[in-house]
Amino acid sequence: MHIPDGFLNTATAAATYVVSAGGVGYSIKEANKKLGEKHVPLMGVMGAFIFAAQMLNFPVMGGTSGHLIGGALAAILLGPWAGALIMTCVLIVQALVFQDGGITALGANVFNMALLACFAGYYLYRAVVSLMGENRTGTLVGGFVGAWASVFVAAIACAIELALSGRVPLGVALPAMAGVHALIGIGEGLITAVVLSFVMATRADLLQLQKV
Amino acid sequence: MKHSFIDKYSDLDSFIHRLDPRTRILSTLAFILAVMVTPPTAWEAFALYFVLLAALIILAQLPPLYVLKRSSVVLPFVLMVAVFVPFMGHGEMTGSYNVWVWRVSLSHEGLLVLWNMLVKSWLSALALILLSSTTRFPDLLKGLERLGVPRVMVMILSFMYRYIFVLADEVMRMRRARDSRGGLGTRVWGREQLRQIRTVGNMIGTLFIRSYERAERVYGAMVARGFDGQVRTLSALRFRRADWGFGAAFCAALLLIGLITVIS
Repeated sequence: MHIPDGFLNTATAAATYVVSAGGVGYSIKEANKKLGEKHVPLMGVMGAFIFAAQMLNFPVMGGTSGHLIGGALAAILLGPWAGALIMTCVLIVQALVFQDGGITALGANVFNMALLACFAGYYLYRAVVSLMGENRTGTLVGGFVGAWASVFVAAIACAIELALSGRVPLGVALPAMAGVHALIGIGEGLITAVVLSFVMATRADLLQLQKV
Repeated sequence: MKHSFIDKYSDLDSFIHRLDPRTRILSTLAFILAVMVTPPTAWEAFALYFVLLAALIILAQLPPLYVLKRSSVVLPFVLMVAVFVPFMGHGEMTGSYNVWVWRVSLSHEGLLVLWNMLVKSWLSALALILLSSTTRFPDLLKGLERLGVPRVMVMILSFMYRYIFVLADEVMRMRRARDSRGGLGTRVWGREQLRQIRTVGNMIGTLFIRSYERAERVYGAMVARGFDGQVRTLSALRFRRADWGFGAAFCAALLLIGLITVIS
């Protein structure tokens, strides 16, 4: 759901740019405060990790394949602000190098897929874990729910932005985006849960990292 | 891993490649903004924008077919979101067809909205392909930094660029190992599909642990060499006469296209 250039009107593009710039600026400050000078190499390598993880495809249906998006995973492992910062870097590289998402729409894409996705994913995960207890089941269910929601809210925000720009009526964009991404979210949720299960089995200490 | 994985053709040598990265970044931004504010019915303006880009692509010695193929990246989004728009509009209808049992009407207004999104996203993608195929990524980052993008962001992006190659190599090795062990079944339904998802999840988990440990080692090595949170680099960026000339000519071309649009 990377929005290309030309899909947003000037007002929506500018408004989302302002909000995203503020959010990313704050996330840099948070990362710097909590991780010190270590945040630069850590965030950079983690950005490369998400980027590389997105290269791994899994079959979806009818011969198509999907891949992990990773916003919720990054947020659950490293915290919502760190996750948002990492996803912003991934989105910048995707826009500049692969034209996946436009430059004028970068603000909107960062808002949807970095800020909203990471915060929705992280806090839903926390909510489920606090309901079901800090055990294997709680972590896996929380990971699934958080990852599913991260995709779903990003898609809804994307539909609303397109509608606000007067490009697509909300009645068309919302059901289309929400429907497709409710399905995509299942794959994201399953993969995220498996990753968390694997990390728990091999390096459980990495799930207890300081959250940024 | 091939070095050109990220910025293919950026090591060619042409007039465009020799410009200062900032000239190319600013020109690309100006172009995309100009396209963004052009009204959708300004047909000749879009044609002229395309001619301008095509001329620069030829001048930069990029293979036209490669550029065209890469610009198709905007299509999935258009197909998913926008392709229904012409059938939903209310305004003046341009035509109405019977497709099997449905009566399909195309609205003029809807077609215009679709055209607006399609042409603008495509032209912008072409401009960005021109930028990323003529600018090496480290130069692009250096240019962005000198143009005022926060230094921390640029530093994180440089680290990311550095390690994308390492980790992408790692992913390719893991994928090869999986495939040679029969990790990809032909039947992809039910349990087999779940098994493949579990395999990919475990691979990503391994990749995360390796990446995190690598980040720790990298940081340790940096601290051992006196890292204090600042990265000091030499920056030899300099606007030369060619940059001023290109910038002026490019802005003049954009203004001319704007003028033609206003007049007609």
